[in-house]
Amino acid sequence: MTKDTNELLPSAQFEGPVSKSFAIDPSSSHSTHGRTNGPSDYVLAAGAVDRDAPTEAGDSQIGRLRAYVTTLQDEVNEFLTARMKGGQEKDVQDEYEDEDEDAEEEE
Amino acid sequence: MPYYSLGIEGSANKLGVGVIEHPQEKLAAYNHARVLSNVRDTYVTPPGEGFLPRDTARHHRNWVVRLIRKALDESQIPPEKLDCICFTQGPGMGAPLQSVVIAARTVAQMWRLPLVGVNHCIGHIEMGREITGATNPVVLYVSGGNTQVIAYSRQRYRIFGETLDIAVGNCLDRFARTLRIPNDPSPGYNIEQLAKKGQHFVELPYTVKGMDLSMSGILEYVDGLANDLFNGKKNKQLVKPDGSKITVEDLCFSLQECIFAMLVEITERAMAHVGSKEVLIVGGVGCNERLQEMMGVMARDRNGNIYATDERFCIDNGIMIAHAGLLAYRTGKRTTLEESVCTQRFRTDEVFVSWRDD
Repeated sequence: MTKDTNELLPSAQFEGPVSKSFAIDPSSSHSTHGRTNGPSDYVLAAGAVDRDAPTEAGDSQIGRLRAYVTTLQDEVNEFLTARMKGGQEKDVQDEYEDEDEDAEEEE
Repeated sequence: MPYYSLGIEGSANKLGVGVIEHPQEKLAAYNHARVLSNVRDTYVTPPGEGFLPRDTARHHRNWVVRLIRKALDESQIPPEKLDCICFTQGPGMGAPLQSVVIAARTVAQMWRLPLVGVNHCIGHIEMGREITGATNPVVLYVSGGNTQVIAYSRQRYRIFGETLDIAVGNCLDRFARTLRIPNDPSPGYNIEQLAKKGQHFVELPYTVKGMDLSMSGILEYVDGLANDLFNGKKNKQLVKPDGSKITVEDLCFSLQECIFAMLVEITERAMAHVGSKEVLIVGGVGCNERLQEMMGVMARDRNGNIYATDERFCIDNGIMIAHAGLLAYRTGKRTTLEESVCTQRFRTDEVFVSWRDD
């Protein structure tokens, strides 16, 4: 891939009990076929045939950005999934339930 | 100079993009909008499965650029000639809506065009009025996610009656899942084809409640009959007077007759209330020929007319969003980036209809 000086490089920042930064290394290889953007296991098990795969990234500024975003999204997804599995993140629903309980206690 | 807009729809499993042209003067019977392109792609799941938000959103994300390109190519309108980008802001499924909003925001910023968020139901109503020429009809809006009887009054589309639980299309689709019939081209279409072969009516609960109706109990009931049929369980309702067995086709026929009769009843009551002789059917279930036929019988009895569109405009599409959005744009509506958040709950009567003054 050819890159110009105005290359669009996405980044992400997680703020919480821990902080983590996500950045893209444009010299690595990137594609739109990520590790976490495929069909869900449920529909594949039900016999779905994937006709909705993303197209290949073009070698343009915007095309390369698509591939970078896919890599970045994979890293964010895997980070958040690991935290959820490790029980470090409370489910949003749990938070609402906690709020409801607090409200009831106040009453 | 005419006005041009591009509309993107993706509140459920259809992704649609359309480009519309409005003449400069006010739209009228002699001065119609022109459909320049109206393309669509549907996320289809295996038989027996519904569409999950995550996979539907993925479908929309991965097709939206291809569809926008195709719509622009067909319309032969370059982006610089467009006046605005219109998108479905709600109601609908959160994840698919989000995919569409992001696509709309992106092209609006790339092409430096204003955004106009559109209520999906208003899109159906305005496109139905434009295509059929119905001026001030009672609207029956029937789809997979919505069931409403609507009439216009003082710059709002007011809801006269609606479902208290599931939508009519959802009821039909879920019964199709029980029967494990294909979802291609749509479960409702396949139920309709089976119903045409049905001969014997099986009595089902009839649940009109004032101006509203309820369909979850009917679905539960007919699902139970279908399961008894498949499992060979004895059930008096599954035996015809001549001793032969009720078929799957009979169940599809009975379900359609029962829920469509309920829809006709509340529509007729709304027509009597507002003194209208016109009824317009919009939404995906509006394509159903049996529903159109039953509604036509009622409308003719009242010396009225029924208006309906074909699948290009009944089923979710991008052109209706382009059309309703452009009507709003022409009366000054703009949606800023901060306001462009989509919403799963967005009632028809929340929209101020600035483009009508009758």
